[in-house]
Amino acid sequence: MSNHRETNKECLLIEKSTIWTMNATPGKRVYGEKTRRFSSQEFRKWDPYRSKIAAGMLRTQHDPQNLLPPHGAQVLYLGAGHGTTISHIHDIVCGEANKFGGRIIGIDISPRCIRDLLGLAKVRPGFIPVLADARKSTWEHTINGQVDWLFQDVSQTGQLDIFLDVTSKHLKPSGRALFSFKMASERWSDEAKTTQIEAMEKRIASSGFDCDEILDLQGFEDEHFLFVISKIV
Amino acid sequence: MWLVFDWQAAIVVDDDGQVLDDLKHNGFLSPRDIVQRIQSMKNAELTPEAHELSTRFPDAKPRQRHEFGNSDIDFPEPTKEQTLQFDEALILQTTMEIQDESGHPDRRMEHLLRLSDELRSSQITLENRCIEWIGDVFPYAQSTSNRLDFLRKVATCETIESFCSTFDVEAPTQDVPQNEWKIMASTAKQAVQEKADVDRIEHAIRELSNQYLPSVSLLLGPLLAARMCVEAHGRERLSKLPSGTIQVLGAEKAFFHHLKTGSPPPKHGHIFMHPWISHSPKWVRGKISRMLAAKVSIAAKIDAFEGEPWTDEDLEKITRRVETIRNTRRKPKRKR
Repeated sequence: MSNHRETNKECLLIEKSTIWTMNATPGKRVYGEKTRRFSSQEFRKWDPYRSKIAAGMLRTQHDPQNLLPPHGAQVLYLGAGHGTTISHIHDIVCGEANKFGGRIIGIDISPRCIRDLLGLAKVRPGFIPVLADARKSTWEHTINGQVDWLFQDVSQTGQLDIFLDVTSKHLKPSGRALFSFKMASERWSDEAKTTQIEAMEKRIASSGFDCDEILDLQGFEDEHFLFVISKIV
Repeated sequence: MWLVFDWQAAIVVDDDGQVLDDLKHNGFLSPRDIVQRIQSMKNAELTPEAHELSTRFPDAKPRQRHEFGNSDIDFPEPTKEQTLQFDEALILQTTMEIQDESGHPDRRMEHLLRLSDELRSSQITLENRCIEWIGDVFPYAQSTSNRLDFLRKVATCETIESFCSTFDVEAPTQDVPQNEWKIMASTAKQAVQEKADVDRIEHAIRELSNQYLPSVSLLLGPLLAARMCVEAHGRERLSKLPSGTIQVLGAEKAFFHHLKTGSPPPKHGHIFMHPWISHSPKWVRGKISRMLAAKVSIAAKIDAFEGEPWTDEDLEKITRRVETIRNTRRKPKRKR
């Protein structure tokens, strides 16, 4: 069994096509996911059908761990939603009782979502939900300096503009950013998919970023793409 | 020269990024203090530290740290404890913002209106069940004039004998077990209670609507005005909707069926509940509802931007318009 299993990082476990993260709140589940014990530690199953990062990790040609932030990272998450993905990111970045000293700022525009996230923040120290519009700058005071890792999942028109703006301002020079792109949120759907994506890749490159990988999430989340980007130092 | 500051520290840098002076907050700030500082910074005010530095360097242009952009400057970072305090403050601020949102009239109106819809449907179900059941046992006892008065009386009858004496009827041929009778009586009580609740909720909606949507309430009546506002997802959005959308709000099913299959489009949505439309002959309803929707869209704009609300005089003009439409088309258009 151990030959299908990789445990590069203490808190992450990949077994065939199933991803597990070590539960930062043992005994508690966030969205009714499966839990299981591996070597006396409780792990939560990360559902690729509900989380675009998990889907991306299963699709990537490289080491899936490269997509994730390191322990104790400063993380900015735009479009926090109901906290499904963010709970797994928290497992990795902060760990139980924030033993790694990470900090996650989760931004969402919907008060209803933030209400759920406040409950999550109570049991998961290191995670801070913020009610704000990603397009405006009202949340910018919440990050101290710049972040190591950034994820954006906002499903609005002009997603790429928001992403480039935020990333160039707030990502550390060696940082990594993931950008979930929802095709249906954009207006120009008459062009072929590949030309659209190529045009976006060019724009990202010309803004001073490296586009490491573009993952088509078809099958997990249709018409969605995950861009893996790093800042050129 | 720039004065760069965040919630806990302030520095003065020259144009080359050289730090000329700095000042850090030493000592304890509670999360509430920090929230206050964040709020005042949002209003472009200076923190006490920044203020102190600005008196020392009056020429320095103040910039908040995240606006300043240049990350190379040597800015004093918060200590670990301070960061934890700051995080706590951010969560407190988020909580406060959510609470502020809950006081918004749009939210309150939505909760009230949905609750009244749900309670009303439950009340009608209970009432019907009760009347049916008692009607089975005593086919002649029921007073048809007011079902609620009848149920109110039933609720006071502890036993089947007391029911017989109250309504002056013979005991039923089939015995009703005491425990089942008790259920019947308490259901009646529940139905009466729920009716009172519905009335109270609707009163609250009327009050809120008259005050929040004065013009639309005058035009449509407060309950219908509240429904339009909730269906449009808030007053501001209602004021931005085109009147064609307002006209078919609530008739989404028919409308999208029309778009999909080309069936005739709906003439009216919730607006149909207004007596001008529902009490008009069929052939003018579309015309009146089109006119009324246009007036609603004007009234909503007045309310959303808090202008001078409409008066009875304005309403009088619209009533005359409705009369004109009705009078010019007394008979349906003849089919050819």
